Amino acid sequence: MRFNYPVIASFFGYLLLLNGFFMLTCLPFSLYYDQGDHVPIGWAAIVTVSSGFLLVFFTRNPKSKELKKRDGYLIVTLGWLIMSFFGTLPYLLSGTIPNITDAFFETVSGYSTTGATILYDIESVHKGILFWRSLTQWIGGMGIIVLTIAILPLLGIGGMQLFVAEAPGISPNKLQPRIKETAKRLWLIYIGLTAIETLLLWAGEMDFYDSINHAFTTTATGGFSTKNDNIAYFSSPFTQYVIILFMFLGGTNFTIIYLALHGEFEKAIKNEEFRFYAGFCLAIGLTVATGILIISNSPVEKAIRNGLFQVVSITTTTGYVTADYTAWSSFITVIFFILMFIGGCAGSTSGGVKIVRHVVLMKNSILEFKRQIHPTAVLPVRLNKQAVDRDITFTVLAFIMIYISIFALGSIIVSMMGVEFETALGSVAAALGNVGPGIGSVGPGSNYAHLPDQVKWLLSGLMILGRLELFTVLILFTPYFWRRQ
Amino acid sequence: MRIIIAGAGDVGFHLAKLLAFEEHDIVLIDLDQEKLRYASNHLDVATIRGSATSYAVLMEAKIGRSDLLIAVTEAEEANIATAVIGKKLGAQKTVARISNPEFLFKKDILDLKKIGIDEIISPETLAAKEIKRLLTQTSLTDSFEFENGKLTLVGISIDEESELVGKTLTEAAYLNPEFNYTTVAILSDNETIIPHGDDKFKVHDHAYFIAEQDGVERVLKLSNKIALPVKNIMILGGSRVGIHTARRLSKVYSIKLIEKDKDKCFELADSLPDTLIINGDGRDVDLLMEEGINEMDAFLAVTGDSETNIISSLVAKNASVGKTIALVENIDYIHLSQNIGVDTLINKKLIAANFIFRYIRQGEVLHITSLHGVDAEILEFEVKSGSKITEHELRNLNLPKTAVIGGIIRNGLGYTPRGNFRFEESDRVVVLSKPECIHTIEGFFK
Repeated sequence: MRFNYPVIASFFGYLLLLNGFFMLTCLPFSLYYDQGDHVPIGWAAIVTVSSGFLLVFFTRNPKSKELKKRDGYLIVTLGWLIMSFFGTLPYLLSGTIPNITDAFFETVSGYSTTGATILYDIESVHKGILFWRSLTQWIGGMGIIVLTIAILPLLGIGGMQLFVAEAPGISPNKLQPRIKETAKRLWLIYIGLTAIETLLLWAGEMDFYDSINHAFTTTATGGFSTKNDNIAYFSSPFTQYVIILFMFLGGTNFTIIYLALHGEFEKAIKNEEFRFYAGFCLAIGLTVATGILIISNSPVEKAIRNGLFQVVSITTTTGYVTADYTAWSSFITVIFFILMFIGGCAGSTSGGVKIVRHVVLMKNSILEFKRQIHPTAVLPVRLNKQAVDRDITFTVLAFIMIYISIFALGSIIVSMMGVEFETALGSVAAALGNVGPGIGSVGPGSNYAHLPDQVKWLLSGLMILGRLELFTVLILFTPYFWRRQ
Repeated sequence: MRIIIAGAGDVGFHLAKLLAFEEHDIVLIDLDQEKLRYASNHLDVATIRGSATSYAVLMEAKIGRSDLLIAVTEAEEANIATAVIGKKLGAQKTVARISNPEFLFKKDILDLKKIGIDEIISPETLAAKEIKRLLTQTSLTDSFEFENGKLTLVGISIDEESELVGKTLTEAAYLNPEFNYTTVAILSDNETIIPHGDDKFKVHDHAYFIAEQDGVERVLKLSNKIALPVKNIMILGGSRVGIHTARRLSKVYSIKLIEKDKDKCFELADSLPDTLIINGDGRDVDLLMEEGINEMDAFLAVTGDSETNIISSLVAKNASVGKTIALVENIDYIHLSQNIGVDTLINKKLIAANFIFRYIRQGEVLHITSLHGVDAEILEFEVKSGSKITEHELRNLNLPKTAVIGGIIRNGLGYTPRGNFRFEESDRVVVLSKPECIHTIEGFFK
């Protein structure tokens, strides 16, 4: 047998069960605000849970529980698709988003932590549905597959394959020898961060509902807000600084947070990717702040806050907005466009290319000069004082090449469908990098609703592609994957 | 338990595989990135690249919090060093693999415990022991006695003449009216089957039984085998395993040992006075014939070269030697084992891994052993009062399908149990179980 179908199917079953359970957690808010959306949410949960239950029930005694690498890729890609389709149910059944294209776009934008929306009036959406919208980002941030590994006693050997296929980064670190324990700890850190942020925001100007929604979408580096004006609605510096901090943490490698929590601060601080990430955010943030100060007469503190906020927001691919960055100057717009290709750290909840890949690539390029002068010298790329495997360098090169190609191809196709130049580039970069707001007519001040249907489907695909870091999805389209060995 | 294994070679990998199924936290250390990548792709373990004798590497593996450090790299000196350093840094127990048997024989004088090595294993010595065990019953492919033969595990190959061919397990039960053996495993086309009522015996299968004292004869009769007494043995290869085996066996059997290297032959002749040492190449069929291979009762091929061992064993089998045993390095060959005609293939790394596995389970399990080529372990437990296994009759216990109870020793007598059997305190139970459900089985005896 080529694929272990029973186990794959039962895994999908568990995914749906979990998803259904998450839908149920929206009910308290529905009932509290009493806008009548508990009925559609209830039905969505019932459909999802019973589909999941049936899948699990009919595949309960698999012959072998072993999952091969191929099974892993198939599970993760198809799992995300299935999840996204069931995730549209609350929107469709409640009539919030009546057509499937828009509902699917909004759901995928949620799970992939992109944060691009097609809703014009977010505030009019019922609170239960809105909570579901934020929750999809939170689920997608750390990854539902990782969650499944953490809590289900399902997997023997295959856990690692699934983990690698879903977790972002070049070579995932195991915090613990066993994958289940690693997954558990990652989720615990994630839940912890979310809880702390909720409390901090609640202590500020937000009410509990807004706090928990924004905590979900910040730690997931998602970017959905409950307000039409996004974070600009909350003008207090405290709230904005808290959000900056947690976006930054969400974009940090969770291994580093784990180390710091275990008292190994030195090791955490000395991590090269982290240093580069922190330095980069700060430097570009201040550059943008200076830019703002030059062109406008905004107060210094506000310029720095806006600069930092927007830079951290786009670098970590969150996509929150406190000010329209395309309105300042063309110089700043270009900077933000380029930021969409940076991404946070590996092993974080952010999307994009990821800092570590840039670091490896840059170091490799600089070494190229040395290699010209000393052709026979052995000059490995060093990261954290350790030589990086040549294979990894090549994988990184391939990743960037494919990323740029897809960006180019995507932009061409989108513009072919009648979207103008700036918007085409902006929407594709924002979708592929899981950022959210782009430039042009999909910039921070507007949304994605006006795009043609085909473009929405294409962008939804790009979001999943970006979230699963290209290879996991693309490998399904290669002949090697389907060829019998 | 947190277990650090230094060396991701065959022994290390096999051990990690056995242990990872039981939810131990395992850290594998090796210098070779490829081996580590293979291990982390196939097992749920953490891997660290580096030398296990390095302080930094051991600290990274959190040696201070580990319960067991197992050093099983190729290099004996490195293993000793790793164990000593590891113990200093806080490992609860250490095991080191050595190849020089002096360490084993002079254990007390060297006082290894004091310098930090709790247990040493020598795969070569273990292999020699294993060979000796296998020679006691030549008509069987494998045999293992529990409590001095109260129960015996026997393995036979099913050939055309056997009465069992084509019969299901239920049908075969009629051939066994006294019910004094149980079928515990069938190895068919390299697949290990824990047989149930309608599984069939086929030609070329290997079947394993647990038999009461008088059941062994019956199994032999059914399979159409006759027990041959062994007197003359030819050993090919003056390797460490060869020397150990010759030393162990030369008192009882008459032994010829063939070695290629002339200088080595002198040394061998010096250290093994009771053995006839012959200088020559084992692949030379004429030489084997000249030295009377067709008069031998057993042929042991233990050179360092697996292929030579297998081929010369086939030559021996062709010359109608009753029992052939070949030592192979490559674990994958084990599965081919008897299909190609060699009676038993043994692998010292597997033997070593099983020894350590047993060491870890001291106390919980009375005995654990594994069969060559079979993907299952045989365990012996003692029933404690109030354990789960005493709660119901055997048929209602809901044991995992991939495990089978082979026999019970009660008051010094062996029994093979039926469905209505009820376990009592201090019964000794022999179970055959696939690796993935050993953990579940253990639960029944706690």
